[in-house]
Amino acid sequence: MQFSVQSVDFLKKLNMASGAIGSVNVLPILEDFLFDLKGNELTITASDLETSIVTKVDVQGEEDGKVAVPAKILLETMKALPGQPIKFLVDKENFGIQLQSSYGKYKLAGEDGDDFPEIPAEANAEDRVTVATQGLSNAIANTIFATSNDELRPAMTGVYFQIDFNKIIFVATDAHKLVKFTLNETKGEVSSTFIVPKKALNLLKNILPSGDEVTISFNSVNVFFSFGDTLLVSRQIDQRYPDYNAVIPVNNPNLLTANRQDLQNSMKRIAIYANKTTNQVVLNVAENSLTVSAQDLDFSNEATEQLPCTYNGDPLQIAFNAKFLVEMLGILESDEIKLELSTPSRAGILLPSEQQDGQDILMLVMPVMLGS
Amino acid sequence: MFENKAILHVDLDAFFASVEVLRDSRLKGKPLIIGGTKGRGVVASCSYEARHFGVRSAMPMKMALNLCPDAIVVRGDMEEYSKQSKIIKEIIASEAPLFEQASIDEFNLDLTGMDKYFGCWKWSQEMRERLIKESGLPMSMGLSINKLVSKIGASFAKPNGKYKVDDGSEKAFLAPMPVGKIPGIGKQTDRKLRLMGVRKVKTLSEIPVKLLQREFGAKPGISLHRKSHGIDNSPVVPFHHQKSMSKERTFQMDTIDVQNLKDRLTKMVTQLAFELRKKNKLTSTIAVKLRYTDFDTHTQQRRIPFTSNDRELIRHSHELFDKLFQRRIMVRLLGVTFSNMVNGNYQIDLFNDTEEEINLLNAMDEIRKRFGAGAVSRASSVSFK
Repeated sequence: MQFSVQSVDFLKKLNMASGAIGSVNVLPILEDFLFDLKGNELTITASDLETSIVTKVDVQGEEDGKVAVPAKILLETMKALPGQPIKFLVDKENFGIQLQSSYGKYKLAGEDGDDFPEIPAEANAEDRVTVATQGLSNAIANTIFATSNDELRPAMTGVYFQIDFNKIIFVATDAHKLVKFTLNETKGEVSSTFIVPKKALNLLKNILPSGDEVTISFNSVNVFFSFGDTLLVSRQIDQRYPDYNAVIPVNNPNLLTANRQDLQNSMKRIAIYANKTTNQVVLNVAENSLTVSAQDLDFSNEATEQLPCTYNGDPLQIAFNAKFLVEMLGILESDEIKLELSTPSRAGILLPSEQQDGQDILMLVMPVMLGS
Repeated sequence: MFENKAILHVDLDAFFASVEVLRDSRLKGKPLIIGGTKGRGVVASCSYEARHFGVRSAMPMKMALNLCPDAIVVRGDMEEYSKQSKIIKEIIASEAPLFEQASIDEFNLDLTGMDKYFGCWKWSQEMRERLIKESGLPMSMGLSINKLVSKIGASFAKPNGKYKVDDGSEKAFLAPMPVGKIPGIGKQTDRKLRLMGVRKVKTLSEIPVKLLQREFGAKPGISLHRKSHGIDNSPVVPFHHQKSMSKERTFQMDTIDVQNLKDRLTKMVTQLAFELRKKNKLTSTIAVKLRYTDFDTHTQQRRIPFTSNDRELIRHSHELFDKLFQRRIMVRLLGVTFSNMVNGNYQIDLFNDTEEEINLLNAMDEIRKRFGAGAVSRASSVSFK
């Protein structure tokens, strides 16, 4: 195997693929990139068995071949080299790799490319839908923060994809907060559901190009995101997703409307005075006034703020974790937000007062029990 | 800096017994024992009259009644005792500049800088007079330069007395005492010291630290040495963070009935969880303790997300119990502890909690607050006291 490549393009693709490499690997070969050269097209693969990234780069091929290259040392070398053509030579016998730059030669030990685990092929996917890249990016950014880290409830560590012909509903929750993000105007002829792990979506978010479309294809085990010359494969989380629709309260008679930025800033200030572990803040709503307060008994810290709002409903006292509210308010983009409430022990629903074109978002936050 | 401290130790005499006498004057002058009456009950406290017969705290009730068959045994009323303790605490709080409550019937007052020494002593005596007059309970006190010597002074003055250890005479005061008088020297240490030929504090104070450390370990060795010299630098700390709360129960009769054990556990967990919520606290560590009939004792603990929810805590406690209960033999004691606590309220879960459940929890807490902690309980644990 032998080829030459421009180091800048090469590094970009290597960086892209390297995200899939896990920090702890079951197989030593998973610390490598798999290089597969056919003609002038080099396919780079990286995987942790759960998530894999396959991408292509144009090279000047001289001899086809397959080899596994230690990822860390190759990346470091490429990062340290200024842009220039690099020559890549592999010994067929012992998989010894030799790099040649304008400065000199570097040798490292590779492994047999045939030992690299097989990556599920996209061709096996039965169904597909196409979405705008920007839409998918938004969907990930709006939901991923709400996923759980609780490994005892694995379903919640991912984002639930509910594909329904020409729309996709993305749901994420950690049992304390929940986001339901609907992307309209997708192209598809199927209806299906699956859970995608958080790691895959974080990777995807980082490597999605701007503009263009992404094809999401899937079978009962894997999901494939393909765009340009790159493919991200992820194993689905094989769990039943909780019935989220049942926990979104309907009939919320109390409606509060407030400026998003003002409310978020107020929350941030008040949260400084709340207990650092629980971040508990109390909201007191009465006609057209919202009082936000918090206290930390351990340090005798206490804060209260009052801010204007429009409120239709009964006076209500309800407590929340300020961290959740700050996070959610930061994700929403509208100038004003609506907070729908019913009772102090039922979920509050946070909505932007104006939805963006082609997408709908609903956020839900569970209150904290009010102390005596 | 430590030279001129003035610490007053106030210790109520036979506290529980004295409160009972206060409630029912007919008990006055009679041997009185407070404690569990049935099978495994132990003496929680006893009057001085009972002590003449050799009855001591923590002694099994059966043995106590053998020693003193005529004693009057009272079950005890913790609520009443706490109330009396609170009265004393409030009087002290209104007068003393800095104080700590060391236990239900012991207080340390830091009088440093209040006056020259004579003034402190005078103030202390007036304080004691007032406490006795207003509470009607007998008490002893000791004044010295630190908590340790004051405590020994107070116990030296018992019953119903007062003692002042003059500045500089601490060692001389301690020297003739038996080593067992020093707080922290229990039966075991006492026995070991006896075997070494040490009976008086004076002898103990003359033993080189190195030797004590070799016999008792590095830290206990130093501690023994310091105590024997009447040295104690621990400050009077007015407020103690509650680090944990726990409950345990020794059964009247050992049991192997798993359902019964779990129901008892449920009862203890719900009682503690109510305490948590009443104090607006959350716990993140739960531990279960189990003692088999042969005194083989095991504990298991687990980190959990911050919670004060009955259901979560019961579930974790039962899981821990299942892990613990491995030997299929009788169990004599079961206990549960919550620790790693913070101030806060329970974050409601979207999927596991229903509004009805939260409302039920709230309603039960309201009833408990109005009618007492035992007013309502889960059906599964209703048969246990």
